[in-house]
Amino acid sequence: MSIVGTVRYAAAAVLMCVGAFFFFVGTLGLIRFPDFYSRTHGATKCDTVGAGSILLGLCVLRGLEADVLKILAIAAMVLLTSPTAGHALARAAYRTGLRPWTHRIGGGESDDA
Amino acid sequence: MTLEMSRLFDAGLMVLLVLCALAVVRTKDLLAASIVFSAYSLVMCLVWDHRGAPDVAMTEAAVGAGVTTVLFLSAISKTVRKEK
Amino acid sequence: MKRALVIVLLAIVAMPLLAAMAAMPRFGSAEQPAYTHVAKRYLERGVEEAGAENVVTGVILNYRGFDTNGEVTVIFTACAAVIAVLAGSRNRQDQREAASSVPESLVVRYVVRLLAPFIALFALYVVLFGEVSPGGGFQGGTVFGALLIVMTVAVSRNQAERLLPLRIRPWLQIAGPLSFLAVGTAGVVLTGWYLGFPQGATAATRLMLMVLEFGIGVGGATVIASIFWRLGDEA
Repeated sequence: MSIVGTVRYAAAAVLMCVGAFFFFVGTLGLIRFPDFYSRTHGATKCDTVGAGSILLGLCVLRGLEADVLKILAIAAMVLLTSPTAGHALARAAYRTGLRPWTHRIGGGESDDA
Repeated sequence: MTLEMSRLFDAGLMVLLVLCALAVVRTKDLLAASIVFSAYSLVMCLVWDHRGAPDVAMTEAAVGAGVTTVLFLSAISKTVRKEK
Repeated sequence: MKRALVIVLLAIVAMPLLAAMAAMPRFGSAEQPAYTHVAKRYLERGVEEAGAENVVTGVILNYRGFDTNGEVTVIFTACAAVIAVLAGSRNRQDQREAASSVPESLVVRYVVRLLAPFIALFALYVVLFGEVSPGGGFQGGTVFGALLIVMTVAVSRNQAERLLPLRIRPWLQIAGPLSFLAVGTAGVVLTGWYLGFPQGATAATRLMLMVLEFGIGVGGATVIASIFWRLGDEA
């Protein structure tokens, strides 16, 4: 494998590892965060940063081909829709009167939905 | 992807599928059950695509994960949320 | 006496049937003619015979057109029945006012408006390229129906409903069976058989497949959106 190929491969691997890391952290947040709003926050990060960098990694791996445009289109779609979904979720929760969690860690009970 | 990895991937999907199905049946909250059912459809869609049936996978994603969930949700919003 | 005769007769009928069963390949084994001959024929000659590069489309619409015709008729009849059952309350206007008490989110509306043309284009692509790439009328129609639902939720129901005018909506709902009827009749003219396709990938075959896909797509999208709207009508 040429130098350029190795570098490209390494860059793709790094991007995908970053994506996997964000997915892991986001899922962890989804499970561990105390209330609806913070959990939505965690889940949305998963989709945007996680999926975004995995897709970018795929682009790098693929090189200059027509497929890259498709992957970029998917990335653009994810980057647009995922934050919107998060916004819609949080907005609906707020409109229906769900109060954000304001307790300190270790004291008081959280009011999850 | 080697054959073993492909098999492993399949097995993982199957386990997820069974877990989703059990969760759908066991949940008393119909709203949560619809969402989990949507996840079930998504896993099923991956299974179809991985087994070489992209046409069915597309149908599963569009109908199972998309439209069915929306119809379930609007039906729930007209009726009750908890299973009795 | 009579019962004994019946039993004997049944036994006589059953024997050749059971013998035939025994001679059949084991259920699910790879030796079945369906696998050794039918599937092989489809895969080897499907593209040239059925006129669709996507063999799945060729099998569904050409080789097994009758099955699909019946299936489409059953599904759309069932959907029409669902719509008819849901058409309980008629005073839509009042309920629409009541439903819009919560202001729509600007962000969601903007993103939906931004993405709607692309989703519609993708749906059209899936419908019309069903004979080349994965997908087809049903998948593309469902995507378009989902787009209509999203528009109803995020933008406005009136705007979404305007895309399928009430005057012609019943015709759009049965577009699937209608397209089968049209293509079937064209088959009678061209080959003498109902749903008969000309051999090979001729322009006529492609056009007929495309009409079928388009009809199923339009019908599917209309039915899905109609069911959703009718669900919203109910008090």
